[in-house]
Amino acid sequence: MRLLSAGEVNVMAETQQKEMVCAPRAQLEWGFGGRRKIRDGALLLALFIGGIGAGQFVVSAWLLSYPLGAVVGLLFVAVGKSAAHLAYLGRPSRFLRLFMRPKSSWVSRGLIAMMFLIVFGLAYLAPYLAPMVGIDWTAWSMTDAINGLFLGIAIIAAFIVMIYDGFVLNSCKSISSWHTMLLPVMFFVYSIAGGVAMSALMTIFDPGGMLNTEDMITQIIRLDTFLLSAMCAMIVFYIMNLYSSDLTGRESLRRLMMGRTAVFFIGLALVTGLLVPMILTAFHQVEGIGTVATYLLAASAILELAGDLSVRHSILKTGLHAPVM
Amino acid sequence: MVIDLKRCTGCFGCVVACKAEHHTPPKVFWAKVLRNEGGKYPNSTRQPIPVICMHCKEPECEKVCPTGATKKRADGIVVIDHKKCVGCRYCVVACPYGARYFVPKWSDYFTGKDAPSSKYAEYSRKKWLEDSDKGVVTKCTFCVERVEKGLKPACVLCCPAEARTFGDLDDPNSEVSKLIKKKHGFRLKEELGTDPCVYYLPAR
Repeated sequence: MRLLSAGEVNVMAETQQKEMVCAPRAQLEWGFGGRRKIRDGALLLALFIGGIGAGQFVVSAWLLSYPLGAVVGLLFVAVGKSAAHLAYLGRPSRFLRLFMRPKSSWVSRGLIAMMFLIVFGLAYLAPYLAPMVGIDWTAWSMTDAINGLFLGIAIIAAFIVMIYDGFVLNSCKSISSWHTMLLPVMFFVYSIAGGVAMSALMTIFDPGGMLNTEDMITQIIRLDTFLLSAMCAMIVFYIMNLYSSDLTGRESLRRLMMGRTAVFFIGLALVTGLLVPMILTAFHQVEGIGTVATYLLAASAILELAGDLSVRHSILKTGLHAPVM
Repeated sequence: MVIDLKRCTGCFGCVVACKAEHHTPPKVFWAKVLRNEGGKYPNSTRQPIPVICMHCKEPECEKVCPTGATKKRADGIVVIDHKKCVGCRYCVVACPYGARYFVPKWSDYFTGKDAPSSKYAEYSRKKWLEDSDKGVVTKCTFCVERVEKGLKPACVLCCPAEARTFGDLDDPNSEVSKLIKKKHGFRLKEELGTDPCVYYLPAR
């Protein structure tokens, strides 16, 4: 029988010592590096994949009228987000119970919205998808009024999927850095930006598609420029909010700016995910549409996605409970 | 419950009593004693603050639970139905007191493995799995199985300084109600509106 080593006992004792101090206490349940180290990170991936998937669905189906993009967005939500949630749960076999309390729980509300998005999104895309799987006939076409209704419901559900995680965090009253209405708005802006970034990437991977036109790329760049400015504003507001918050909020800000999380927040979220894409987009506007510029747009999109993931990671990691006394 | 901070010596007796009563696995503390340090040298103070589940009248954990696994009983004790819990941990994050613990699996204290290393560990695992489950959230139950038999919770019974008093807060003539009134009892994080049912008597 192998007993715990001295090192392992020390780690355990250290954890217990941290637990037994009346000071701001880091939440260890959501995000990488929690109690289950890697597996708890699945929740972060669920938030990220769900956000960009719903964002891409809205951007592709509504703003760009690009069904293939909507299909990819829907797949992200239906497969990626669902799988990540299941991987995170302690008892995945009981997942149906998560839908039972929409009256009081934002988790239930968000997951019900996710189901609506999948069902009505599929209904909206059915006339587009049917020929691909060898079915010649569907009861409605892409231009029918009923399909417009399906799209409307799917878009409303997608909006809820984009913001509900912000409300989930906002409902944790003792975590000052989360208990703010800025988070749902911030997650919404980042999700839409993620959707635009994914659509921009598809211009590379779908060269014959309708997206690969000058008009469409110009439209994406305009949207991207606006969203980058909005993301920048949201980050500034969030930092100001933390600065004017209580002691725990300011400790969260300190960890965001100087702790281990600063690498993700300043390095990835601010510089790589915001500043560099801003420069690339500005360069693109000066240079116009060309092969090099289009690749720069794709690079900017990838960096924006990395920034999106880092922002969510940083927010989760710097969530600190206020001391009990 | 009322906890007298003046009497508490920070001996961790309640923590051990809880562990012995409920056989909680490593890193799980239904009852804990926090060290609160205040003031500045040479006038610094160190005050132990025993913390358990506050069994709030307006529990945040119950509000956010998406499955309905967390419930408030008629007698005010907040309990978790382990057969309904999915282990999403929304309640763990929402609880302002850090009273809830997610237990992915049972593990042995000395080996850190799933397999028990001794007969007592085997008994401990059996007891734990009878009352709980793996992959779910757990917390202090105010020793509901003891209270139902008319006994005091283990932490109250074992406190050598008699810092803890257990009773009915709704009864104005109960010992706890009288203590709160006489010694100006206060509650932790009252401003969050959770209406906790554990009161503290000031240390000085």
